[in-house]
Amino acid sequence: MSAQKVQAGATSGWQRGGAQAVRRRIVERLVNVLCGIATVVVLFLLFSILWTLVTRGAAGLSLSTFLHSTAAPGSGGGLANAIVGSCEQTMLAALLGTPIGMLTGIYLSEFSHDGKIVSFVRFVSDMMLSVPSILVGLFVYLVVVEPAGHFSGIAGTLALAILFIPIVVRTTEDMLHLVPRAMREAAYALGAPGWRVIVSICLRAARGGIMTGILLALARISGETAPMLFTSLGNLNWSTNLNAPMASLPVTIYQYAGSAYDDWVQMAWTGALLITVAVLATNIFARWWLSRNGTASS
Amino acid sequence: MNTVLMDNRPAQTQSAPAIAIRNLDFWYGENHALRGISLDFPTRQVTGMIGPSGCGKSTLLRILNRMYDLYPGQRAMGEVLFDGRNILSPGIDVNVLRSRIGMVFQKPTPFPMSIYDNIAFGVRLHERLSRTEMDQRVENVLRRVALWGEVKDRLNASAAALSGGQQQRLCIARTIATRPEIILLDEPTSALDPISTARIEELLDELKQEFSIAIVTHNLQQAARCADRVAFFYMGELVEVDTADKMFTAPHEKRTQDYITGRFG
Repeated sequence: MSAQKVQAGATSGWQRGGAQAVRRRIVERLVNVLCGIATVVVLFLLFSILWTLVTRGAAGLSLSTFLHSTAAPGSGGGLANAIVGSCEQTMLAALLGTPIGMLTGIYLSEFSHDGKIVSFVRFVSDMMLSVPSILVGLFVYLVVVEPAGHFSGIAGTLALAILFIPIVVRTTEDMLHLVPRAMREAAYALGAPGWRVIVSICLRAARGGIMTGILLALARISGETAPMLFTSLGNLNWSTNLNAPMASLPVTIYQYAGSAYDDWVQMAWTGALLITVAVLATNIFARWWLSRNGTASS
Repeated sequence: MNTVLMDNRPAQTQSAPAIAIRNLDFWYGENHALRGISLDFPTRQVTGMIGPSGCGKSTLLRILNRMYDLYPGQRAMGEVLFDGRNILSPGIDVNVLRSRIGMVFQKPTPFPMSIYDNIAFGVRLHERLSRTEMDQRVENVLRRVALWGEVKDRLNASAAALSGGQQQRLCIARTIATRPEIILLDEPTSALDPISTARIEELLDELKQEFSIAIVTHNLQQAARCADRVAFFYMGELVEVDTADKMFTAPHEKRTQDYITGRFG
Protein backbone atom coordinates (compact mmCIF):
# COMPACT_ATOMS: atom_id res chain seq x y z
CA MET A 1 0.00 0.00 0.00
CA SER A 2 2.60 2.48 1.06
CA ALA A 3 5.03 1.23 -1.60
CA GLN A 4 2.37 1.81 -4.24
CA LYS A 5 1.87 5.31 -2.93
CA VAL A 6 5.57 6.06 -3.16
CA GLN A 7 5.70 4.77 -6.72
CA ALA A 8 2.72 6.83 -7.74
CA GLY A 9 4.31 9.87 -6.15
CA ALA A 10 7.57 9.21 -8.00
CA THR A 11 5.87 8.98 -11.39
CA SER A 12 4.01 12.23 -11.00
CA GLY A 13 7.24 13.82 -9.74
CA TRP A 14 9.01 13.01 -12.98
CA GLN A 15 6.21 14.62 -14.95
CA ARG A 16 6.78 17.91 -13.15
CA GLY A 17 6.68 20.91 -15.44
CA GLY A 18 4.51 19.24 -18.09
CA ALA A 19 4.27 21.32 -21.24
CA GLN A 20 6.99 23.68 -20.03
CA ALA A 21 9.48 20.82 -19.78
CA VAL A 22 8.61 19.59 -23.25
CA ARG A 23 9.10 23.07 -24.66
CA ARG A 24 12.43 23.35 -22.91
CA ARG A 25 13.62 20.12 -24.50
CA ILE A 26 12.52 21.27 -27.95
CA VAL A 27 14.23 24.64 -27.53
CA GLU A 28 17.41 22.94 -26.39
CA ARG A 29 17.50 20.65 -29.39
CA LEU A 30 16.76 23.55 -31.73
CA VAL A 31 19.58 25.67 -30.31
CA ASN A 32 21.96 22.71 -30.55
CA VAL A 33 21.13 22.22 -34.22
CA LEU A 34 21.49 25.95 -34.98
CA CYS A 35 24.89 26.07 -33.28
CA GLY A 36 25.98 23.04 -35.31
CA ILE A 37 24.88 24.63 -38.60
CA ALA A 38 26.62 27.91 -37.76
CA THR A 39 29.85 26.04 -36.97
CA VAL A 40 29.71 24.11 -40.23
CA VAL A 41 29.09 27.32 -42.24
CA VAL A 42 32.05 29.09 -40.63
CA LEU A 43 34.37 26.13 -41.07
CA PHE A 44 33.23 25.68 -44.68
CA LEU A 45 33.97 29.33 -45.48
CA LEU A 46 37.35 29.20 -43.79
CA PHE A 47 38.43 26.02 -45.50
CA SER A 48 37.12 27.09 -48.90
CA ILE A 49 39.21 30.26 -48.62
CA LEU A 50 42.25 28.26 -47.61
CA TRP A 51 41.63 25.68 -50.32
CA THR A 52 41.26 28.31 -53.04
CA LEU A 53 44.39 30.06 -51.82
CA VAL A 54 46.45 26.88 -51.72
CA THR A 55 45.34 25.56 -55.13
CA ARG A 56 45.64 28.88 -56.93
CA GLY A 57 48.65 30.19 -55.03
CA ALA A 58 50.76 27.05 -55.04
CA ALA A 59 50.67 26.94 -58.83
CA GLY A 60 52.89 30.04 -59.02
CA LEU A 61 55.15 29.09 -56.15
CA SER A 62 58.76 28.43 -57.13
CA LEU A 63 62.25 29.30 -56.05
CA SER A 64 62.22 32.43 -58.20
CA THR A 65 59.26 33.74 -56.14
CA PHE A 66 61.72 34.21 -53.31
CA LEU A 67 64.79 35.10 -55.37
CA HIS A 68 63.57 37.60 -57.95
CA SER A 69 61.90 40.96 -57.63
CA THR A 70 58.64 41.88 -59.30
CA ALA A 71 59.04 42.33 -63.03
CA ALA A 72 57.13 43.53 -66.08
CA PRO A 73 54.24 41.35 -67.27
CA GLY A 74 55.40 38.34 -69.27
CA SER A 75 58.96 38.44 -68.05
CA GLY A 76 58.76 36.18 -65.01
CA GLY A 77 60.06 37.66 -61.81
CA GLY A 78 59.14 36.99 -58.21
CA LEU A 79 58.09 38.62 -54.96
CA ALA A 80 61.46 38.94 -53.26
CA ASN A 81 61.26 42.74 -52.95
CA ALA A 82 57.73 42.55 -51.51
CA ILE A 83 58.62 39.81 -49.03
CA VAL A 84 61.72 41.61 -47.81
CA GLY A 85 59.86 44.95 -47.73
CA SER A 86 57.05 43.46 -45.68
CA CYS A 87 59.44 41.79 -43.26
CA GLU A 88 61.54 44.93 -42.88
CA GLN A 89 58.60 47.21 -42.22
CA THR A 90 56.65 44.91 -39.89
CA MET A 91 59.73 43.94 -37.88
CA LEU A 92 60.82 47.55 -37.46
CA ALA A 93 57.26 48.53 -36.52
CA ALA A 94 57.26 45.76 -33.90
CA LEU A 95 60.68 46.85 -32.57
CA LEU A 96 59.41 50.40 -32.33
CA GLY A 97 55.98 49.54 -30.97
CA THR A 98 56.78 46.83 -28.43
CA PRO A 99 58.64 48.97 -25.88
CA ILE A 100 56.22 51.88 -26.23
CA GLY A 101 53.19 49.60 -26.02
CA MET A 102 54.52 47.57 -23.11
CA LEU A 103 55.59 50.60 -21.10
CA THR A 104 52.18 52.21 -21.63
CA GLY A 105 50.44 48.98 -20.63
CA ILE A 106 52.58 48.75 -17.50
CA TYR A 107 51.74 52.35 -16.69
CA LEU A 108 48.01 51.72 -17.09
CA SER A 109 48.06 48.56 -15.01
CA GLU A 110 50.52 49.38 -12.24
CA PHE A 111 50.15 53.11 -11.70
CA SER A 112 46.38 53.23 -11.66
CA HIS A 113 46.30 55.53 -8.64
CA ASP A 114 46.71 58.57 -10.91
CA GLY A 115 43.05 57.94 -11.79
CA LYS A 116 42.28 60.65 -14.34
CA ILE A 117 45.41 60.44 -16.46
CA VAL A 118 45.20 56.66 -16.55
CA SER A 119 41.60 56.55 -17.72
CA PHE A 120 42.38 59.22 -20.33
CA VAL A 121 45.37 57.26 -21.68
CA ARG A 122 43.32 54.04 -21.68
CA PHE A 123 40.51 55.82 -23.55
CA VAL A 124 42.90 57.15 -26.21
CA SER A 125 44.56 53.76 -26.59
CA ASP A 126 41.21 52.03 -27.02
CA MET A 127 40.23 54.63 -29.62
CA MET A 128 43.42 53.91 -31.53
CA LEU A 129 42.56 50.23 -31.42
CA SER A 130 39.43 50.86 -33.45
CA VAL A 131 40.60 53.66 -35.79
CA PRO A 132 40.24 52.55 -39.44
CA SER A 133 43.74 51.74 -40.65
CA ILE A 134 43.36 53.96 -43.72
CA LEU A 135 43.05 56.98 -41.41
CA VAL A 136 46.37 56.02 -39.85
CA GLY A 137 47.82 55.94 -43.36
CA LEU A 138 46.45 59.41 -44.10
CA PHE A 139 47.77 60.73 -40.81
CA VAL A 140 51.29 59.51 -41.54
CA TYR A 141 51.00 60.84 -45.07
CA LEU A 142 50.29 64.32 -43.73
CA VAL A 143 52.89 64.19 -40.99
CA VAL A 144 55.78 62.38 -42.70
CA VAL A 145 55.28 61.85 -46.43
CA GLU A 146 54.15 65.34 -47.41
CA PRO A 147 56.85 67.26 -45.47
CA ALA A 148 59.51 64.88 -46.80
CA GLY A 149 58.17 65.19 -50.31
CA HIS A 150 58.29 61.46 -51.07
CA PHE A 151 56.88 58.10 -49.98
CA SER A 152 59.18 55.96 -47.86
CA GLY A 153 59.64 52.76 -45.87
CA ILE A 154 60.00 54.90 -42.75
CA ALA A 155 56.49 56.23 -43.24
CA GLY A 156 55.18 52.69 -43.75
CA THR A 157 56.93 51.52 -40.60
CA LEU A 158 55.46 54.40 -38.61
CA ALA A 159 51.94 53.66 -39.84
CA LEU A 160 52.28 50.00 -38.88
CA ALA A 161 53.74 50.92 -35.48
CA ILE A 162 50.75 53.16 -34.77
CA LEU A 163 48.46 50.21 -35.46
CA PHE A 164 50.71 47.89 -33.44
CA ILE A 165 51.03 49.91 -30.24
CA PRO A 166 47.41 49.91 -28.97
CA ILE A 167 47.16 46.13 -29.34
CA VAL A 168 50.27 45.66 -27.20
CA VAL A 169 49.03 48.25 -24.68
CA ARG A 170 45.78 46.35 -24.28
CA THR A 171 47.29 42.87 -23.92
CA THR A 172 50.04 44.06 -21.56
CA GLU A 173 47.49 45.76 -19.33
CA ASP A 174 45.08 42.81 -19.41
CA MET A 175 47.79 40.26 -18.71
CA LEU A 176 49.22 42.29 -15.81
CA HIS A 177 45.72 42.55 -14.34
CA LEU A 178 45.63 38.75 -14.25
CA VAL A 179 48.64 38.62 -11.93
CA PRO A 180 47.11 37.86 -8.51
CA ARG A 181 47.25 40.66 -5.96
CA ALA A 182 48.48 38.13 -3.41
CA MET A 183 51.59 37.49 -5.54
CA ARG A 184 52.43 41.20 -5.67
CA GLU A 185 51.86 41.56 -1.94
CA ALA A 186 54.09 38.57 -1.27
CA ALA A 187 56.89 40.25 -3.20
CA TYR A 188 56.39 43.56 -1.39
CA ALA A 189 56.32 41.65 1.91
CA LEU A 190 59.89 40.48 1.25
CA GLY A 191 60.95 44.10 1.05
CA ALA A 192 61.05 44.42 -2.74
CA PRO A 193 60.75 47.96 -4.14
CA GLY A 194 57.91 48.65 -6.57
CA TRP A 195 59.94 48.53 -9.79
CA ARG A 196 61.41 45.20 -8.76
CA VAL A 197 57.96 43.73 -8.13
CA ILE A 198 56.84 44.87 -11.59
CA VAL A 199 59.92 43.64 -13.46
CA SER A 200 60.79 40.45 -11.61
CA ILE A 201 57.34 39.24 -10.57
CA CYS A 202 54.49 40.79 -12.55
CA LEU A 203 56.10 40.91 -16.01
CA ARG A 204 57.53 37.47 -15.45
CA ALA A 205 54.15 36.04 -14.51
CA ALA A 206 52.52 37.74 -17.50
CA ARG A 207 55.27 37.14 -20.07
CA GLY A 208 53.46 34.30 -21.87
CA GLY A 209 50.36 36.38 -22.46
CA ILE A 210 52.27 39.53 -23.42
CA MET A 211 54.43 37.60 -25.90
CA THR A 212 51.28 36.13 -27.44
CA GLY A 213 49.79 39.61 -27.75
CA ILE A 214 52.92 40.85 -29.53
CA LEU A 215 52.85 37.94 -31.98
CA LEU A 216 49.15 38.43 -32.70
CA ALA A 217 49.72 42.15 -33.24
CA LEU A 218 52.54 41.25 -35.63
CA ALA A 219 50.19 38.96 -37.55
CA ARG A 220 47.59 41.70 -37.65
CA ILE A 221 49.87 44.44 -39.10
CA SER A 222 51.57 42.15 -41.59
CA GLY A 223 48.32 42.03 -43.57
CA GLU A 224 47.62 45.77 -43.57
CA THR A 225 47.22 47.29 -47.04
CA ALA A 226 45.39 50.59 -46.73
CA PRO A 227 47.94 52.47 -44.60
CA MET A 228 50.79 51.30 -46.84
CA LEU A 229 49.22 52.87 -49.94
CA PHE A 230 49.70 56.34 -48.46
CA THR A 231 53.05 55.74 -46.85
CA SER A 232 55.50 53.30 -48.43
CA LEU A 233 53.52 53.24 -51.70
CA GLY A 234 55.14 50.11 -53.08
CA ASN A 235 58.21 49.65 -55.24
CA LEU A 236 58.58 47.45 -58.32
CA ASN A 237 62.32 47.13 -57.84
CA TRP A 238 64.51 45.62 -55.20
CA SER A 239 65.06 48.16 -52.41
CA THR A 240 65.86 47.93 -48.74
CA ASN A 241 66.32 51.68 -48.40
CA LEU A 242 63.94 52.93 -45.73
CA ASN A 243 64.09 56.45 -47.09
CA ALA A 244 62.64 55.40 -50.44
CA PRO A 245 59.32 53.86 -51.46
CA MET A 246 59.25 50.23 -50.39
CA ALA A 247 57.36 47.20 -51.64
CA SER A 248 55.20 45.09 -49.37
CA LEU A 249 53.17 41.94 -49.94
CA PRO A 250 49.71 43.41 -49.32
CA VAL A 251 50.28 46.35 -51.67
CA THR A 252 51.73 44.07 -54.36
CA ILE A 253 48.69 41.79 -54.04
CA TYR A 254 46.43 44.82 -54.33
CA GLN A 255 48.17 46.08 -57.45
CA TYR A 256 48.61 42.71 -59.16
CA ALA A 257 45.21 41.18 -58.40
CA GLY A 258 43.49 44.02 -60.24
CA SER A 259 45.78 43.96 -63.27
CA ALA A 260 44.92 42.62 -66.73
CA TYR A 261 47.92 40.27 -66.94
CA ASP A 262 47.46 36.59 -66.07
CA ASP A 263 50.96 36.13 -64.69
CA TRP A 264 50.53 39.16 -62.38
CA VAL A 265 47.19 37.79 -61.12
CA GLN A 266 48.91 34.47 -60.50
CA MET A 267 51.64 36.29 -58.56
CA ALA A 268 48.96 37.99 -56.43
CA TRP A 269 47.52 34.58 -55.50
CA THR A 270 50.97 33.36 -54.56
CA GLY A 271 51.57 36.46 -52.44
CA ALA A 272 48.22 35.97 -50.73
CA LEU A 273 49.13 32.37 -49.93
CA LEU A 274 52.51 33.42 -48.51
CA ILE A 275 51.01 36.07 -46.26
CA THR A 276 48.26 33.72 -45.05
CA VAL A 277 50.72 30.98 -44.22
CA ALA A 278 52.93 33.47 -42.36
CA VAL A 279 50.00 34.84 -40.33
CA LEU A 280 48.66 31.38 -39.61
CA ALA A 281 52.09 30.16 -38.54
CA THR A 282 52.48 33.17 -36.24
CA ASN A 283 49.07 32.50 -34.69
CA ILE A 284 49.77 28.83 -34.14
CA PHE A 285 53.19 29.59 -32.70
CA ALA A 286 51.63 32.20 -30.38
CA ARG A 287 49.07 29.70 -29.09
CA TRP A 288 51.70 27.04 -28.62
CA TRP A 289 53.90 29.53 -26.80
CA LEU A 290 51.06 30.53 -24.48
CA SER A 291 50.18 26.94 -23.64
CA ARG A 292 53.82 26.19 -22.91
CA ASN A 293 54.63 29.24 -20.82
CA GLY A 294 51.27 29.32 -19.11
CA THR A 295 49.17 32.23 -17.94
CA ALA A 296 49.76 34.49 -15.00
CA SER A 297 48.48 32.26 -12.23
CA SER A 298 50.17 28.99 -11.48
CA MET B 1 44.77 41.27 36.17
CA ASN B 2 45.71 39.79 39.50
CA THR B 3 49.12 38.63 40.60
CA VAL B 4 48.18 34.97 40.89
CA LEU B 5 47.75 34.82 37.12
CA MET B 6 51.05 36.57 36.52
CA ASP B 7 52.96 33.90 38.42
CA ASN B 8 51.93 31.17 36.01
CA ARG B 9 53.32 32.90 32.96
CA PRO B 10 56.44 31.72 31.19
CA ALA B 11 59.54 33.68 32.07
CA GLN B 12 60.02 35.08 28.54
CA THR B 13 57.19 37.58 28.90
CA GLN B 14 59.31 39.50 31.34
CA SER B 15 61.75 40.57 28.61
CA ALA B 16 61.03 43.48 26.28
CA PRO B 17 58.34 42.73 23.69
CA ALA B 18 59.34 42.33 20.02
CA ILE B 19 56.59 44.73 19.05
CA ALA B 20 54.61 47.03 21.30
CA ILE B 21 51.42 48.60 19.93
CA ARG B 22 50.11 51.68 21.71
CA ASN B 23 46.75 53.37 21.03
CA LEU B 24 46.55 52.29 17.43
CA ASP B 25 43.69 53.42 15.20
CA PHE B 26 43.20 52.43 11.58
CA TRP B 27 40.93 53.61 8.78
CA TYR B 28 39.95 52.17 5.41
CA GLY B 29 38.86 55.48 3.92
CA GLU B 30 36.01 56.52 6.24
CA ASN B 31 35.71 53.11 7.84
CA HIS B 32 37.24 53.12 11.32
CA ALA B 33 38.52 49.53 11.34
CA LEU B 34 40.66 49.44 14.48
CA ARG B 35 40.08 51.44 17.64
CA GLY B 36 42.57 52.17 20.39
CA ILE B 37 44.55 48.92 20.17
CA SER B 38 47.37 48.40 22.67
CA LEU B 39 49.07 45.03 22.51
CA ASP B 40 52.51 43.50 23.08
CA PHE B 41 54.02 40.73 20.99
CA PRO B 42 56.49 38.95 23.29
CA THR B 43 59.88 38.00 21.90
CA ARG B 44 60.22 34.42 20.63
CA GLN B 45 56.65 33.50 21.38
CA VAL B 46 53.63 32.80 19.23
CA THR B 47 50.87 35.36 19.59
CA GLY B 48 47.58 34.14 18.16
CA MET B 49 44.92 36.59 16.98
CA ILE B 50 41.35 35.36 16.84
CA GLY B 51 37.94 36.88 16.26
CA PRO B 52 35.04 36.81 13.82
CA SER B 53 35.51 37.88 10.18
CA GLY B 54 35.94 41.62 9.81
CA CYS B 55 37.03 42.13 13.41
CA GLY B 56 40.33 43.72 12.35
CA LYS B 57 42.84 40.98 13.15
CA SER B 58 44.20 40.73 9.59
CA THR B 59 44.17 44.51 9.36
CA LEU B 60 46.37 44.68 12.44
CA LEU B 61 48.79 42.17 10.93
CA ARG B 62 49.05 44.22 7.73
CA ILE B 63 49.92 47.32 9.76
CA LEU B 64 52.92 45.63 11.32
CA ASN B 65 54.78 45.43 7.97
CA ARG B 66 53.16 48.59 6.55
CA MET B 67 51.39 46.53 3.87
CA TYR B 68 48.56 49.03 3.95
CA ASP B 69 50.97 51.57 2.39
CA LEU B 70 50.25 49.96 -0.98
CA TYR B 71 46.68 51.18 -0.90
CA PRO B 72 45.87 54.87 -0.90
CA GLY B 73 43.07 55.82 1.48
CA GLN B 74 44.23 53.47 4.21
CA ARG B 75 45.86 55.14 7.19
CA ALA B 76 47.04 54.31 10.68
CA MET B 77 47.48 56.50 13.76
CA GLY B 78 49.19 55.65 17.00
CA GLU B 79 52.43 53.91 17.86
CA VAL B 80 53.87 50.59 16.80
CA LEU B 81 57.24 50.28 18.50
CA PHE B 82 59.78 47.91 16.99
CA ASP B 83 63.48 48.01 17.84
CA GLY B 84 63.18 51.43 19.42
CA ARG B 85 61.31 53.18 16.62
CA ASN B 86 57.70 53.84 15.68
CA ILE B 87 57.30 51.99 12.39
CA LEU B 88 54.34 54.20 11.44
CA SER B 89 56.57 57.27 11.24
CA PRO B 90 57.36 58.49 7.71
CA GLY B 91 61.13 58.14 8.12
CA ILE B 92 60.96 54.33 8.19
CA ASP B 93 62.40 52.51 5.15
CA VAL B 94 59.54 50.10 4.49
CA ASN B 95 61.72 47.76 2.41
CA VAL B 96 64.13 47.30 5.30
CA LEU B 97 61.19 47.01 7.70
CA ARG B 98 59.65 44.25 5.59
CA SER B 99 62.92 42.36 5.51
CA ARG B 100 62.95 42.43 9.32
CA ILE B 101 59.25 41.64 9.70
CA GLY B 102 58.34 38.91 7.21
CA MET B 103 54.86 37.81 6.22
CA VAL B 104 53.21 34.60 5.06
CA PHE B 105 49.81 34.78 3.40
CA GLN B 106 46.63 32.77 3.40
CA LYS B 107 47.10 31.27 -0.03
CA PRO B 108 50.52 29.99 -1.05
CA THR B 109 51.99 32.50 -3.50
CA PRO B 110 54.96 30.93 -5.26
CA PHE B 111 56.62 33.34 -7.69
CA PRO B 112 56.72 32.31 -11.35
CA MET B 113 60.29 31.05 -11.13
CA SER B 114 62.27 28.07 -9.90
CA ILE B 115 62.16 26.78 -6.33
CA TYR B 116 65.71 28.03 -5.84
CA ASP B 117 64.97 31.50 -7.21
CA ASN B 118 61.83 31.79 -5.09
CA ILE B 119 64.11 31.80 -2.06
CA ALA B 120 67.01 33.67 -3.62
CA PHE B 121 64.74 36.50 -4.83
CA GLY B 122 64.15 37.89 -1.33
CA VAL B 123 67.73 37.36 -0.19
CA ARG B 124 69.17 39.18 -3.22
CA LEU B 125 67.08 42.24 -2.37
CA HIS B 126 68.98 42.81 0.84
CA GLU B 127 72.28 40.94 0.73
CA ARG B 128 75.02 40.28 -1.77
CA LEU B 129 75.97 36.63 -1.38
CA SER B 130 78.40 34.47 -3.32
CA ARG B 131 77.01 31.50 -5.19
CA THR B 132 78.13 29.07 -2.46
CA GLU B 133 76.71 31.23 0.32
CA MET B 134 73.40 31.46 -1.53
CA ASP B 135 73.35 27.70 -2.09
CA GLN B 136 73.91 27.22 1.62
CA ARG B 137 71.20 29.70 2.55
CA VAL B 138 68.70 28.01 0.24
CA GLU B 139 69.54 24.54 1.54
CA ASN B 140 69.44 25.75 5.13
CA VAL B 141 65.98 27.30 4.95
CA LEU B 142 64.57 24.40 2.94
CA ARG B 143 65.83 22.02 5.61
CA ARG B 144 64.26 24.12 8.32
CA VAL B 145 60.82 23.89 6.72
CA ALA B 146 61.37 20.14 6.07
CA LEU B 147 61.16 20.60 2.32
CA TRP B 148 64.79 19.86 1.40
CA GLY B 149 64.33 16.11 1.06
CA GLU B 150 61.37 16.59 -1.25
CA VAL B 151 62.88 19.19 -3.59
CA LYS B 152 66.67 18.86 -3.44
CA ASP B 153 66.78 17.13 -6.83
CA ARG B 154 64.59 19.70 -8.58
CA LEU B 155 65.65 23.08 -7.24
CA ASN B 156 65.51 24.45 -10.78
CA ALA B 157 61.99 23.20 -11.42
CA SER B 158 59.10 25.64 -11.33
CA ALA B 159 57.70 26.25 -7.86
CA ALA B 160 54.19 26.13 -9.32
CA ALA B 161 54.53 22.35 -9.70
CA LEU B 162 54.67 21.80 -5.92
CA SER B 163 51.59 20.78 -3.93
CA GLY B 164 49.70 23.40 -1.92
CA GLY B 165 51.28 22.34 1.38
CA GLN B 166 54.76 22.29 -0.15
CA GLN B 167 54.17 25.72 -1.69
CA GLN B 168 53.19 27.13 1.68
CA ARG B 169 56.32 25.67 3.29
CA LEU B 170 58.33 27.19 0.44
CA CYS B 171 56.72 30.56 1.19
CA ILE B 172 57.73 30.21 4.84
CA ALA B 173 61.27 29.25 3.76
CA ARG B 174 61.35 32.29 1.48
CA THR B 175 60.28 34.49 4.39
CA ILE B 176 62.86 33.21 6.87
CA ALA B 177 65.59 33.35 4.22
CA THR B 178 65.75 37.14 4.55
CA ARG B 179 66.46 36.59 8.27
CA PRO B 180 63.58 38.52 9.79
CA GLU B 181 63.13 38.96 13.51
CA ILE B 182 59.37 38.63 13.36
CA ILE B 183 57.13 36.50 11.18
CA LEU B 184 53.50 37.46 10.52
CA LEU B 185 51.19 34.69 9.37
CA ASP B 186 47.76 35.51 7.97
CA GLU B 187 45.66 32.34 8.22
CA PRO B 188 48.55 30.32 6.80
CA THR B 189 46.76 26.97 6.80
CA SER B 190 43.19 27.85 5.84
CA ALA B 191 43.79 26.76 2.24
CA LEU B 192 45.54 23.51 3.22
CA ASP B 193 44.51 19.95 4.01
CA PRO B 194 44.76 18.61 7.61
CA ILE B 195 48.11 16.85 7.09
CA SER B 196 49.78 19.90 5.55
CA THR B 197 48.24 21.97 8.36
CA ALA B 198 49.74 19.71 11.00
CA ARG B 199 53.19 20.00 9.40
CA ILE B 200 53.00 23.79 9.35
CA GLU B 201 51.90 23.84 12.99
CA GLU B 202 54.89 21.65 13.94
CA LEU B 203 57.08 24.03 12.02
CA LEU B 204 55.76 27.03 13.97
CA ASP B 205 56.72 25.34 17.21
CA GLU B 206 60.25 25.03 15.96
CA LEU B 207 60.47 28.50 14.43
CA LYS B 208 59.55 30.24 17.67
CA GLN B 209 62.93 29.21 19.07
CA GLU B 210 64.37 31.89 16.81
CA PHE B 211 61.55 34.18 15.68
CA SER B 212 58.72 36.09 17.27
CA ILE B 213 55.53 35.00 15.57
CA ALA B 214 52.12 36.62 15.12
CA ILE B 215 49.47 34.39 13.62
CA VAL B 216 45.91 35.24 12.58
CA THR B 217 43.65 32.23 12.54
CA HIS B 218 39.99 31.34 12.24
CA ASN B 219 40.73 27.94 13.69
CA LEU B 220 40.39 28.11 17.48
CA GLN B 221 41.98 24.69 17.97
CA GLN B 222 44.95 25.94 16.01
CA ALA B 223 45.23 28.98 18.25
CA ALA B 224 45.01 26.72 21.31
CA ARG B 225 47.64 24.34 19.90
CA CYS B 226 50.17 26.84 18.57
CA ALA B 227 49.88 30.09 20.45
CA ASP B 228 51.49 31.01 23.75
CA ARG B 229 49.28 34.06 24.03
CA VAL B 230 45.98 34.72 22.36
CA ALA B 231 44.34 38.06 21.60
CA PHE B 232 40.61 38.22 20.89
CA PHE B 233 39.35 40.97 18.60
CA TYR B 234 35.77 42.01 18.10
CA MET B 235 34.48 44.80 15.86
CA GLY B 236 37.80 46.59 15.63
CA GLU B 237 38.59 46.40 19.33
CA LEU B 238 40.96 44.25 21.30
CA VAL B 239 38.66 42.60 23.82
CA GLU B 240 41.13 40.54 25.76
CA VAL B 241 44.63 39.09 25.64
CA ASP B 242 46.05 36.38 27.84
CA THR B 243 47.89 33.08 27.76
CA ALA B 244 46.26 30.50 25.52
CA ASP B 245 45.38 28.36 28.53
CA LYS B 246 43.57 31.17 30.29
CA MET B 247 41.79 32.36 27.17
CA PHE B 248 40.32 28.98 26.37
CA THR B 249 39.51 27.89 29.92
CA ALA B 250 38.77 31.01 31.92
CA PRO B 251 38.37 34.16 29.81
CA HIS B 252 37.49 37.30 31.68
CA GLU B 253 35.19 38.87 29.14
CA LYS B 254 31.76 37.54 28.30
CA ARG B 255 32.29 38.27 24.60
CA THR B 256 35.42 36.11 24.57
CA GLN B 257 33.56 33.29 26.25
CA ASP B 258 30.66 33.57 23.78
CA TYR B 259 33.05 33.47 20.83
CA ILE B 260 35.16 30.52 21.93
CA THR B 261 32.09 28.51 22.86
CA GLY B 262 30.68 29.16 19.39
CA ARG B 263 27.78 31.38 20.39
CA PHE B 264 28.66 33.82 17.60
CA GLY B 265 31.32 34.23 14.99
